[in-house]
Amino acid sequence: MRVRLIYSPHVVEKPVLAEIILKTGLPINILEAKVNAQKGELVVSIPSSGKKLEEILTMFREAGVQVQKFMRALQIDYERCISCGACISPCPTQALRFGSDWTLEFDEEKCIACKTCVNACPVKAITLP
Amino acid sequence: MKVQREMRSIEEINEKIKRGDAVVLTAEEMIELAESSGIEVAAKEVDVVTTGTFGAMCSSGVFLNFGHSDPPIKMTKCWLNDVPVYKGLAAVDGYLGATALSETRGFEYGGGHVIEDLVSGKEIELRAESYGTDCYPRRHIETVITIDDLNQAILVNPRNCYQRYDAATNSTDRVIYTYMGTLLPNYGNVTFSGAGQLNPLCKDWNYETIGIGTRIFLGGGIGYIIGEGTQHSPQGGFGTLMVRGDLKQMSSRYLRGASFYRYGVTLYVGVGIPIPIINERVASTAALRDDQISVNIRDYGIPSRPDRRPIVKRVTYAELRKGKVTIGDKEVPSSSLSSYKMAREISEVLKKWILEGIFFLTKPVEPLPRKREFKPLQIRRKELRVRDVMRKEVITANPYDGVKEAARKLVARGIDHLPVIGPDGKLVGIVTSWDLARAIANGKEMLSDIMTRRVITAREEESIDVVARRMAQHNISGLPVVDDAHHVLGIITTDDISRKLVGRRLTI
Repeated sequence: MRVRLIYSPHVVEKPVLAEIILKTGLPINILEAKVNAQKGELVVSIPSSGKKLEEILTMFREAGVQVQKFMRALQIDYERCISCGACISPCPTQALRFGSDWTLEFDEEKCIACKTCVNACPVKAITLP
Repeated sequence: MKVQREMRSIEEINEKIKRGDAVVLTAEEMIELAESSGIEVAAKEVDVVTTGTFGAMCSSGVFLNFGHSDPPIKMTKCWLNDVPVYKGLAAVDGYLGATALSETRGFEYGGGHVIEDLVSGKEIELRAESYGTDCYPRRHIETVITIDDLNQAILVNPRNCYQRYDAATNSTDRVIYTYMGTLLPNYGNVTFSGAGQLNPLCKDWNYETIGIGTRIFLGGGIGYIIGEGTQHSPQGGFGTLMVRGDLKQMSSRYLRGASFYRYGVTLYVGVGIPIPIINERVASTAALRDDQISVNIRDYGIPSRPDRRPIVKRVTYAELRKGKVTIGDKEVPSSSLSSYKMAREISEVLKKWILEGIFFLTKPVEPLPRKREFKPLQIRRKELRVRDVMRKEVITANPYDGVKEAARKLVARGIDHLPVIGPDGKLVGIVTSWDLARAIANGKEMLSDIMTRRVITAREEESIDVVARRMAQHNISGLPVVDDAHHVLGIITTDDISRKLVGRRLTI
C-alpha cells in the first residue's frame, strides 16, 4: 500500500518512520521524500494490508503524522493503450502483465510507483497522478 | 524452389468470395486446424488465411498535396504542427516522415503524431516559407488545415512489416533507451517485436503469393504492396515491404503516433495481408507456429551496427511471448513492443471483410525478390579514432604512492587524471584531481584508499563519438586507453577531443 505521510513542524524532527520500522520489523520503502526543517512529505510503500496496515497507519497518526492513502498508483488510459507490452519487462516488480486475451493488466499491489513504465510507454497511456 | 501443384487460383478464390462460400481462417485458426486435421486437409479446405501485425514502423510517411493558395506559393520549407515536412518536391507537394521531430516539442511529438492527428480529423497548423518567384509570388503561409482540405494524403511506407525482428537485451551496467524500448542493466530484460505466427511475411515464407500489387489491410483502410521494402533481406528470412494506401480511408485505431523515451518518435502501423492457399507449401507456412519461428537476442549495450551487435541467444517467438527467457543462469522478463492483441484484431477484421464480400484478393504482377544483398555503409574517408586523439605519454602512479606525491605530479604536469598501475603493469584504478583534493581534506594518505577501482576505459580503435558519449554518460572527463590485457596505452580527455575538433569535421 502506498501512502503519503505529512509531517507538521513539531514532528518533523522526530524519527517517527524509523521507530515504526523498528517496532513492526516491516521494510517500509521510501519512494519520494521532501523534507526540510519546517515540514516533511514522504511517499512510502508499506508491505502490508487489511487490519495490520490500519494498525500501522494508526501508529503514524498517533505520532502526529498525517496519513493520506493513494487509492490508485497508476492510471492506464485504455483508450490510448495499444497493449503493446513495452512497459511490461522494464517493470522492476512485475506489476504489469498480459491477460489471457493479450490485454495489458496492472497489479496495483505490486506497484512501487517508480515511473519506469510511464517513460517506457510509447503512446503515453500511463500516468502517475 | 520446386513447382507445386496449384490447388486453387486467385480467380477461383474471388469467385467463392463473391458467392459467399470462401473458407477464410485467421492464421491462429489455421494453426489449430493444421494441428487437429493435418496440413493436407487444411490445404484442401481453406481458401484464405488472414494475418496481421501492429508495430512501430519508422520508415513510414505520407505524401501530401496542400492545393494552391491565392496568390500561390512555391513552398521551400513547410511545417505541420512544427514538424518539418520534406519539400524537395513540386510547389505544394510534401512528404511527412514518421520520425521527423517537432522543432518545439522534441521527442514528445513528431511526424507519427501528425499522421495520427490528421487521420483523427484534428486541425493541424500549416506553416510554409518560400523565396517567391514570378509565378509563385507568395513568401509565407500560416493557416490551419484538416485532412479534408488536402487533395491527396497518401501513406507511402518504404519499409513496413518485417518478416521477423531480432530481440534486444543489454549487457552494460546502466539502463539504455533504444528503439527497442527501455533495456535494463546486466541483461535485466528482453524486448522483441513482431507478431510471429500472425506476421504476414512469416505466413507466406517463400513469397509465393505476396508481391507488387497485393491488396492489403493498411491502417484500417485498403492498401497495396508496391514492392520490396528497403533493407529487404530475404535469404535470412528478414523480408520487408513497401506499401501505399489512401490515408483518408484509414483510422487512428490502426495508425498511432509513438515516442520512444530518449530515442525518438515513430508510427505504429497496422498491416494485414490475406494469404491465398494456392498450394500445400503455402498452407504449411501459413500454419507456422510461434515455436517454429526463431530470432536472435542481441546485445544493444554494444553500440555497433545492427549485424555486429553480439548474439546472446537464439529463441523462438513462443519463448519470448511466455514472458521469461533464460540468459546464462538468470531468468529475465521478456515483453513485446508490437501489439499481439491488435495483430489478432487486424487478422479478424480482414477475415470479416473477405467473408462479407467487400475485400477481394489480387494476383501480384511481380513477386518479391527472393535474393537481395543487405550491405553496410563503408566509410571511405579516414575518421578520427581514439588512437588519433589520445596522448601516448601517460603519467601513472602505483597504488602505494602517497596522496601528496600524486598531487605534486598532477600540478607539475598540468593534468587531471592519474591512472594507477598494479605491479603486473595492469590498470587497477584511477585518481583525479578532485579525488586528491577530497583525500587531503579527509586526511587520507595512500592512493589505494581513494582511487576509483571500476575504471571506465576506451579502446584505441573506438570512434570518438562513442567515447565522447561514454564520458558524458558517466559524467567524467578522461578515460585511460587500454589493450586486451588491460595495459594502459594512452589517455583521452574531453580537452584532447575539443582541441582536436576545433574548426574541423570528424573526418581528417
